[in-house]
Amino acid sequence: MVRKIIDDIEKSIRETAKKLLEEGKVDLIIGYTKGSIPLRSGPCFITDASKTDMLVWNQSCDLNLAKYLAKNDDRKIGIISKGCVGRAIVHLIVEKQLNRENITIIGIPCEGVLNRAKIMVEIGDKEIIEADIEDDKIIIKGKDFNKTLPLQDYINQLCITCHYKIPPISDIILGNKKPEKPLKDDFKDLNEIESKSSKDKIEYFKKELNRCIRCYACREACPMCYCTLCFIDQNKPVWFGKTADISDNFIFHMIRAFHVAGRCVSCGACSSVCPMGIDLNFITRKLEKIVKERFDFESGISLEVLPPMGTHKFDDKQEFMIEED
Amino acid sequence: MVQKMISKEKISDLIKELQKEFKVFGPVKEEGVVLFKEITDAKEICLDYSNSKIPAKSVLFPMIDTLFSYKKEEKGVKIIENPPYEKTVILGIRPCDSMGFSLFKIFFSFGKYKDPLILNRLENITLIGMGCLEPRTTCFCTSVNGGPFNKESVDVLITEFKDNYYLESSTDKGEALIKKIKSLTDADKGDLAKIEKLQKDIESAIPVIKGLDSIHTKLDGLFDNPMWQLDAQGCLGCGACTYLCPTCHCFDVLDENKQDGSGRRIRIWDTCQFPLFTLETSGHNPRTTKLPRVRQRIYHKFNYYPKNYNIIGCVGCGRCIINCPVGSDIRNIFMSVENSSSKTEG
Ligand code: SF4
Ligand code: SF4
Ligand code: SF4
Ligand code: SF4
Ligand code: SF4
Repeated sequence: MVRKIIDDIEKSIRETAKKLLEEGKVDLIIGYTKGSIPLRSGPCFITDASKTDMLVWNQSCDLNLAKYLAKNDDRKIGIISKGCVGRAIVHLIVEKQLNRENITIIGIPCEGVLNRAKIMVEIGDKEIIEADIEDDKIIIKGKDFNKTLPLQDYINQLCITCHYKIPPISDIILGNKKPEKPLKDDFKDLNEIESKSSKDKIEYFKKELNRCIRCYACREACPMCYCTLCFIDQNKPVWFGKTADISDNFIFHMIRAFHVAGRCVSCGACSSVCPMGIDLNFITRKLEKIVKERFDFESGISLEVLPPMGTHKFDDKQEFMIEED
Repeated sequence: MVQKMISKEKISDLIKELQKEFKVFGPVKEEGVVLFKEITDAKEICLDYSNSKIPAKSVLFPMIDTLFSYKKEEKGVKIIENPPYEKTVILGIRPCDSMGFSLFKIFFSFGKYKDPLILNRLENITLIGMGCLEPRTTCFCTSVNGGPFNKESVDVLITEFKDNYYLESSTDKGEALIKKIKSLTDADKGDLAKIEKLQKDIESAIPVIKGLDSIHTKLDGLFDNPMWQLDAQGCLGCGACTYLCPTCHCFDVLDENKQDGSGRRIRIWDTCQFPLFTLETSGHNPRTTKLPRVRQRIYHKFNYYPKNYNIIGCVGCGRCIINCPVGSDIRNIFMSVENSSSKTEG
């Protein structure tokens, strides 16, 4: 069932892209294409209407393509947008980082993407030679093994809680599946980590962040990390340590998380691209929850509502401020 | 050349014997990721692995490497040198990664300025490599002068056969070492011929990428070719392909100062894929966009290395293919080089 929906969308992505290019409505289509190894996809940039068959849509399309848009790009761009790509575009417009007129949002409904890191841990160190999705199963083939995994268990956690499967704003919508009514996000997925003691929390953070090699793929893949000079790269003078030592790693990830608070669109790209399989979204989810609870704000949903970090209200709660006597 | 064997079950005995004289590093699995770490308990080693996520270069060239420490004193600064490097064995390194060690040696000893730290470590490290029974589909070592059982850059090569590990020395250092290890027995002559055949079969099954031996001359004419734009547009500019590459050796030097006036000078990994890598103090940056950075990685390995050191700067491990978050594949770049150079010639 799911497979059929996805295949149909892929077909209409190709047709739509072809048409838009042929009619000169866009100069460029940004979409997904097949990677050279199983479970991996990449971005593709198509200007030639005869090449639209390169476009794919499947559950390994985990990048946030909004990353490839830029304010100073004058081309007319059609961008294949699952829900979180659309949200990123909306939020970037609100932050005045994109020109709405140049962008054609081609909205597609998303069934969630796979958590590759989790699959790799399950498969161990063996090479995956072929991976296929059939109904509710992932079928993995290697040189001397076959493994079937239940699809639902390997969908990204963020996709399970995601309630914006299609972009909040689109110029074209593909697929005839009606968007489901947004579920109420109860942040239950945070229960486990929230119930840990401070000591256990630190241990958990350390265990995850210890592996970080500071390749910055997470930052580079994040549509909200668009600063010309990241705080971590400030070197005149140096602001923070840049080693892969746990204390430096901790500072980098915590501050990056603060910088995307109220801006993060829960796309999971930061975790999906991490070569070390680090899950960074336990941090971003917590911030998402805080922003929702304190400011009743969700990023990338509306072009009108200003984000909490971009506005100021005198009656904002500030019980964390310490009064001087 | 000396050939010895040990049953797989007894590998701990071998490790324990090595530990009497050496610090032993080997592949271990942590949170699903295989890395090279010091083996304190022989049970930790994970020899049934395809290749480590981070290449074994992390032992020779750690992510954080203390060059020396210092302490401010009443008169001037006291420099504290590192303790002498202990004799070390790296057990289970793959032949491609050990080729990386040979390239490090060439690079860090080339020209007027030698790197004493790296060279001293290389002197003190003995490599006991492990042949690859199951090369990955992304491996192309045989196209870049290597092979799954290449002995050139290891001191000893292990080949797994049935229930045993067969060890073959390829240097004097390796020979001296395996001669004195008591847990090893003489190799079963009957198996040796079979092992040789197995090695050949596995090696010849790896697809060969044609034209890499002359890629440097082709690249000569392609510096301004539009092909780089195609590769650069999707690249995120992260450190995955270079940090995880067994031949990349670039670093940044920093001082870490403590409030008490002590500190250390360290070097940490750095990469040509970051804009800051080429940012000069004047504020000028010769590589401001992704295109020249993407091109630099390829030129360094496949043009500058062959020209400067007469060797390709890639050992074909495939890590850059596996780990690139946007699915960039260096083999496709080789193809573009072939196609573009035939076009420019024609
Ligand atoms: S922080 Fe991660 S999940 Fe949030 S927008 Fe950036 S890439 Fe997406
Ligand atoms: S992508 Fe992963 S390894 Fe790289 S900096 Fe981010 S968390 Fe660290
Ligand atoms: S360039 Fe890629 S294939 Fe070559 S040695 Fe480096 S990581 Fe391995
Ligand atoms: S490819 Fe880049 S990071 Fe790697 S050694 Fe060359 S310059 Fe350094
Ligand atoms: S790993 Fe991929 S995305 Fe990252 S710098 Fe290398 S080619 Fe670019």
